[in-house]
Amino acid sequence: MGLTGLEIFKQLPKTNCKDCGQPTCLAFAMQLASGKASLDQCPHVSDAAKEALDSASAPPVALVKIGKGDKELQLGNETVLFRHDKRFEHPTGIAITVNDNDSDIAGKVAAINKLVFDRVGQIHKVNLVAVNNASGDAAKFAEAVKTVQDSADFALVLMTEDATAMEKALEVAGENAPLICGANAANFDAMLALAKKYDAPLVVKGADLNELAALVEKAGYKKLILDSGAREVNKVLADQTQIRRQALKKFRPFGYPTITFADNPDPIQAIVDAGVYIAKYAGIVVLNTADPADVLPLITLRLNIYTDPQKPIAVESKLYEVGTPGPDAPVFVTTNFSLTYFCVQGDVEAGRISAYIMPVDTDGISVLTGWAAGKFTPEKITEMLNSCGVADKVSHKKLIIPGGVAVLSGKLQELSGWEVLVGPRESAGIPSFIKQRWNA
Amino acid sequence: MILIGERINGMFKDIREAIQNKDPEPVRYWARRQYEKCAAYLDINTGPTVEKDDQPAVMEWLVKTAQEAAPLPCCIDSTNPDAIEAGLKVHQGKAMINSTTADQWKMDIYIPMAAKYNAAIIGLAMNEKGVPKSAADRIALAMEIVVNCDMNGVPMEDLYIDPLMLPCNVAQEHGVEVLETLRQIKTLADPAPRTTMGLSNSSQRCTNRHLINRTFLIMSMACGLDSAIADVDDDELLDAVAAANILLNKEIYCDSFLKTFRAR
Repeated sequence: MGLTGLEIFKQLPKTNCKDCGQPTCLAFAMQLASGKASLDQCPHVSDAAKEALDSASAPPVALVKIGKGDKELQLGNETVLFRHDKRFEHPTGIAITVNDNDSDIAGKVAAINKLVFDRVGQIHKVNLVAVNNASGDAAKFAEAVKTVQDSADFALVLMTEDATAMEKALEVAGENAPLICGANAANFDAMLALAKKYDAPLVVKGADLNELAALVEKAGYKKLILDSGAREVNKVLADQTQIRRQALKKFRPFGYPTITFADNPDPIQAIVDAGVYIAKYAGIVVLNTADPADVLPLITLRLNIYTDPQKPIAVESKLYEVGTPGPDAPVFVTTNFSLTYFCVQGDVEAGRISAYIMPVDTDGISVLTGWAAGKFTPEKITEMLNSCGVADKVSHKKLIIPGGVAVLSGKLQELSGWEVLVGPRESAGIPSFIKQRWNA
Repeated sequence: MILIGERINGMFKDIREAIQNKDPEPVRYWARRQYEKCAAYLDINTGPTVEKDDQPAVMEWLVKTAQEAAPLPCCIDSTNPDAIEAGLKVHQGKAMINSTTADQWKMDIYIPMAAKYNAAIIGLAMNEKGVPKSAADRIALAMEIVVNCDMNGVPMEDLYIDPLMLPCNVAQEHGVEVLETLRQIKTLADPAPRTTMGLSNSSQRCTNRHLINRTFLIMSMACGLDSAIADVDDDELLDAVAAANILLNKEIYCDSFLKTFRAR
């Protein structure tokens, strides 16, 4: 996004000296805003102004990378407060904590490595392992970091506010760009020096938003993750909102991803808190649990919140079973638009019908849209009939199509060799349709 | 779309006579009627027939009378700074000043006044040299007003830039320049200043005035117009604005959108 004339004008020297060839500084600012002049035509502009104008044209939330190679996690580049305005770009990184005084660190990491889930045909997993210096002992911390690094499938977060312990841990893991967590007002210079030395991302924690902004400005380092210091969920929500809102208004110190900690001792509360953080702008959420029952709902929520609202959501195009369909069960044809599929599936289920549903791949658009766009054709339906294996599962050769596309029936019957029954226009009519018309 | 009802203006005969006779009834009538027709502001103008020295007292009376009759803020419309300040002093709520030009001496009077009374202000993209023809010249003048508002702490949300539409029968080439100006104003600052327009200007002494007014209003809305001083008694104009709000995704569509637009 370009700079506005007012933003540029405020950085100019306001001498109206005409050295740039324009009659006034204001006119020059207007030329710059419309791209008809360049800043170096003004000989009097200060370095601070150049810097301010440069950074003002950067994206509102910086892109920050944690880890290297295939373990790398990217955060930031966000541009909106609400996903319906455009989309959320980089899904919240989920980090699971391992304490350096745990008895079985390798075992816990193995459990974390297994937090990989198949959701609607895609693989989703956690992203980070957070090694926590719970022992307070530097050597023990470094040893734990080594163990975790050797066995974890994910990039690391190193959690200690003790600069000596961090230094030892970085000797082990520094070259893999782990997240240093982190710097606060007390250890700031030492932690910043370590981050710069290893060129690793750094968490900056303030006692509140004001201190956080001051520390970021002092840092002069761009690979940052923000922590407002809040731990109660209501305060975290307020701070997360402020940080995102101010970043979008181009308040530079808050133009970085954030880290949050869902560490409520009640595991159910911790998951609910983490859900709030995922919905409300957290770059990373750190959990203490590796129980798949705790992590699965968060993975699902993250997947849902970070889908692109402008693209229709599709279900996987394959044969689905409702109930326990036998060889005489009806076969319904529909499209793979999730809204369409779940309407049909819900109505079939509500009618206590055991059946097969065959959602044809229409790139996730509805029956009538797909028909109008030439994506829901007798050819495509026949192709899916032949490839999905439904013919081996049923003893009949009858197919039910949506009433809205009754015109397809003749051609489809000819092409497929199946008898085509035209179902009701609305899926709500399926149960009574089956009662009256299905007697295979 | 913020509609500013244009009707309480001494240019109209009934208002002129109401001022002469100190008869509040026509002012009350138009305040209520424009309120019912979903005006967000009432433009208040003494008209040119009132003596300059009398304008402050008349403005004060008009603002008080209008606000007693309808719960709306006023858009205090005068070329006389004393009249504007007299209106602001008795005004309830957040007023709008109509208007300043980009002349420095005028901005030095009106913009601090807007800051002092926490009022919105309309800035005309013109100066003593007259109405500029090209969009680029209009934008340069608008920028002067933007910078002066910024220096005086008037937030951009309270500044309404008027790109100055002229009658299409005698200044036809200005229309496209006004539309281009509206587009570019949104790039001057972030948040952007708002925009407004004296809509009835576009059709002065033309035939089919209502048609010309509403057509230009809709075209302007598509270019980012936020507000207009207009005849809110024109139902076809309101219908067109309601439809444009839907098409610009400013209101969520429903079948009764004409009705919900009018509901307040």
